[in-house]
Formats: sequence, structure tokens, C-alpha cells
Amino acid sequence: MSERNRLRSLLTLVQINGLIPIRTQPLYLINLVASPLSFLFFIWIVSRGADLAYGVMGGMVLTMLSVGTGLQSDLTHYRHDMKFQDVVVASPVEAPVYVGGMALSELVYSLPALAVFVILFVYYGYATPESSAVLVGALLLVWSFATAFAFTLATYFQDVRETWMFSPIFSLVLTVLPPVYYPISYLPGWAQVAARFSPTTYAAELVQGAVGLQHLSFDTAVIDWIVLVGFTAALFLIAAFKARWKDP
Amino acid sequence: MGFAIRTEHLRKVYPGAHGASAALEDLTLDIPDGRVYGVIGRNGAGKTTFVRIAATQLVLTSGSATVLGHDVATEERAIRTRIACVPQEARPLYFLNVDEVVYLYLKLRGLDPADARARTKDALEQLSLTEFRRRTVSRLSGGLRRRVLCAMVLASDAEILFLDEPTTGLDPIARRQVWEAIRRAIRERRTILLTTHYLDEAEALSARLALFERGRLVLEGTPEDLRARVRYPYRVTIQGSTPREELQSYGRVSAIEGGFLVFARESEARDLARLALERGLKVGLGPVSLEGIFLDVVGRSIEDEGPTPEVEG
Repeated sequence: MSERNRLRSLLTLVQINGLIPIRTQPLYLINLVASPLSFLFFIWIVSRGADLAYGVMGGMVLTMLSVGTGLQSDLTHYRHDMKFQDVVVASPVEAPVYVGGMALSELVYSLPALAVFVILFVYYGYATPESSAVLVGALLLVWSFATAFAFTLATYFQDVRETWMFSPIFSLVLTVLPPVYYPISYLPGWAQVAARFSPTTYAAELVQGAVGLQHLSFDTAVIDWIVLVGFTAALFLIAAFKARWKDP
Repeated sequence: MGFAIRTEHLRKVYPGAHGASAALEDLTLDIPDGRVYGVIGRNGAGKTTFVRIAATQLVLTSGSATVLGHDVATEERAIRTRIACVPQEARPLYFLNVDEVVYLYLKLRGLDPADARARTKDALEQLSLTEFRRRTVSRLSGGLRRRVLCAMVLASDAEILFLDEPTTGLDPIARRQVWEAIRRAIRERRTILLTTHYLDEAEALSARLALFERGRLVLEGTPEDLRARVRYPYRVTIQGSTPREELQSYGRVSAIEGGFLVFARESEARDLARLALERGLKVGLGPVSLEGIFLDVVGRSIEDEGPTPEVEG
């Protein structure tokens, strides 16, 4: 398959799984806006507006992670209920193109939520060239590892109901327990150690540091980037070698 | 003429199937190109397992299989650019309309939009789907959904089409439309691997046939070859009152409405027909259908879900 055809396949998947379902059922958009904006509202009320910045930065991370939870459900549903993965496997479309296209299509659903957060990000004066670059980089990595993780899991699930069970665990382990919506210093010592096993901790630390919510030394920032890239690379390797594109 | 698909001692055991028999066992098969190759068998006979291995969707356990000269285990990419598949139990994505299912599938395969548009129009016309082109899949009947999937792969540029029970749930007219589309694909020198429960369909479309039973290849050849190889290649229908015991000396006897159906060898079939005519009974004589061959070889109907009895030689 040529690069041009790969791009065509990728964009067709965005159309199939992103644009057309939204055209036929616009409520999908509200579904994905609801969770991050609920958290934001909760933080705004409880902190009387003081911790709103944490809500904005955490909301962006949660939005990118929600791509992963949406993706694992869609991939599992398409694989088992529609046999769509089998149709795609027996075609020129390669696994990375399929996963990339599906992950991009999930991003389409997240655009309204991201738009709200970006507006707040700019409105509250957090947007500088440096903070924006850190934000984009960290969010791209979160989106990437969430995609790789979701694809691998989806090829093991036997039924879409298993993803419903897994999604709240996914959210808990990656967004609630790790300090995505608050500084890591709020956690007791043992919990800080536990949080270091979650890649979102490093992403949150970077974005919080980029907008001045916490002081982040240059060395800490470098380590955070290395760990975040390492986590992402590891999940991609697991996807490449362990995901079941072809059934065993 | 070359071979589109070749297998040697192909075996498949599903992981975790401890103690169970293999889904496919020692399958050696050469499927010629440019024809319809029919695979028939009861549920669980191994038809879908074979299709999925050849379509690079399923890992084989041992043996080998090549598609268009490429190994399914190591050269999947080279194969996948040249095949298309309608899996058993596949459903088109319910939120797309009929036109989008076909057109977007072709674009997904990398076809140029203008080419994809022209092929979509052609396939929808051929399968009488044009009037439904703007209808969402969720509002289609099961038969129409199946027809949309057939249109999708028949519209593709693939050289080999894997159609796993493509006409299940279709009414007789829709089935004939799919058959016509399949015949047209053959005129375009494409190869079709067709699995079906409908023996009339397999017989009407297939240049060669393979009969699977419990993961093994039981018979293979042209429909004429298959007839020649069965023990009772002729069928005699007798309408009227005759003692069953008397008929049993001529071959295998089945009761039918108003009489009996006897599968027999040529000389016995002729003798029986003569005897029945002498007694003034209504007689029909002819070569066995595929259903008859299946009954003869497997020992029960293709629709029978029960365990198979041991079959003689």
C-alpha cells in the first residue's frame, strides 16, 4: 500500500467511525464532554474557583484518555459483533493504519471538550509558546499510549460487555488515583510511590509545571519526559507483539 | 490455469481446546484460480476455519497454506492486497447507509474516489440495491444487509473473494441476484471461495467442490466427479404403495411424501425403475443431487445438527 493510500484509508476510518456517527447521532459529542466538564465544575465549586487551573489541565488529560476507553469499546464491538476487523484484516489495510484511523476518529468526539479546555487555557492566561508546546507534546503521548493500550486489550476481550467492566477501572487507575486533578504533593507518601507507576502522573506533572501550578526543575522535567516516552514506547511494543490482529 | 489456494497437511487446533478434535485435520487441497470453489459441510465441519486461515485472519497450527503463491503464515501483506472477505455472521456498520458501506469500504482499500464511486454504483445496480442506497443499514432487513456485504466485496478490486455463507437469510430472488453477481466476477477471471449450506447453490455455482466433515476433507472434485465417486450415483423416486423391505435390496431407501426415494447404483436403479413401471407405479430416475451425495457420504442431511454416525469407506 502506498503512503497516499495509507492516508486515504486513515481518513476514511475517521469518516466511518467519527464523522458519520456524529452526523447521525450528535448526542455522542455530549457524552464525551460530560465527564471532564463535570470534574471541572466539581473542582470549581469545591475550591471556589481557586483550583480551576488543575481542573482545566486535568480535564485535557482525561479527555485524551477517554479516547482510549472509547477506542477499546468500539474496537471490541466491531471485532466481535460486526466482524469488521476480519473484513479489514482481509484487505490491504494494515493494523497500524486501522488503529491510527480509529484513534483519530475517537479524537473527533473529543474535540468539543478539548475546545472548551483550550478556550479556558487561553482565557486564564496559561497559553505561552512553552506551555503550549509542553501541553501538546504531553497530550499527544497520552493519546498515543491510551490508543496502544486500548487496541491491545480490545483484541483480547471476547465481548463488548468486558470493556464496560474495564473502562471505570481504566479511568480510576489512570485519572483519579494519579494526581491528574491535583498536585502530587497532596498524596500521602505511599500513594505518591504508587502514582509513579501511572504514566498519567508524569503527563500531569509536566502540564501542571508548564503553567506554573507547581515548580518543576529542569532535571525533573527531563525525567518526566523520558518516563512518559518510555511508557508509550513500551505500550506500543506490547501492542506490536501481543495484540491479536490475526486470531490465534 | 494456476492455483489460487494450496494447502498441505493443514491442521488447526484452537487454543484451549484440550482433548477436543482438531477443527481441521490433514487438509491437502489445490484450488484452481478463476473459478468458484465451493466448500460444503455441516456446522462445525471446518469450513469457516479453512476460510479464515486462507484469508489470513486465523493462525494455522501446522502444515502449510499458500494464497496466490504466498505463504499465509509469513507473507500476509502480499496476500491481503489481493483478497476480500465477507465473514460468516458479519454485519455492515449499522449507522452507515447502503451507499456508504460499499463506497467507504472501497476507499478504505485505497481505491481512488472516482473509481470507488463508479464501482459502488455498478455493484448496487447489479444486486438491485440502488433503491435502498440512501437507507441506513439499521433500517434494512437481515437479507438486505447480507446483500450489501456481498456488494461491498464484489465491488472491490480483489482477485480472490472469500464468501462465507454469503446468501444465508436471503430470499430466492435475492439469492439468484447474488449468484449472477458471482458469475460476473468469474467472467472477470476472479477466484471465489464459497462456503454454503445450500447444496443447490454450491452445485449451481461451483466448478469444483470440497465436502468437509468433522474437520476432514471427505470428497473433492467437480460435481460430476463427486457423483461418480459415491456408492449410489442414481436416485429413483417411486410414488405409490411398495413394501420398503423389497426396495432395500436395491440401495439406500428414504421415505418421501407418497412413496420412497432410493439411492442406487446404475444397474440396480435401472432394474428398480423397470420393476416399478411394470407394477404401474410412477417412477423418476436421474443422477443424484448434491444433497444425495452428501447424504450418501456423510450419512445424514447437511441440515442435521446431531453427531455424525461412523461412515463406511
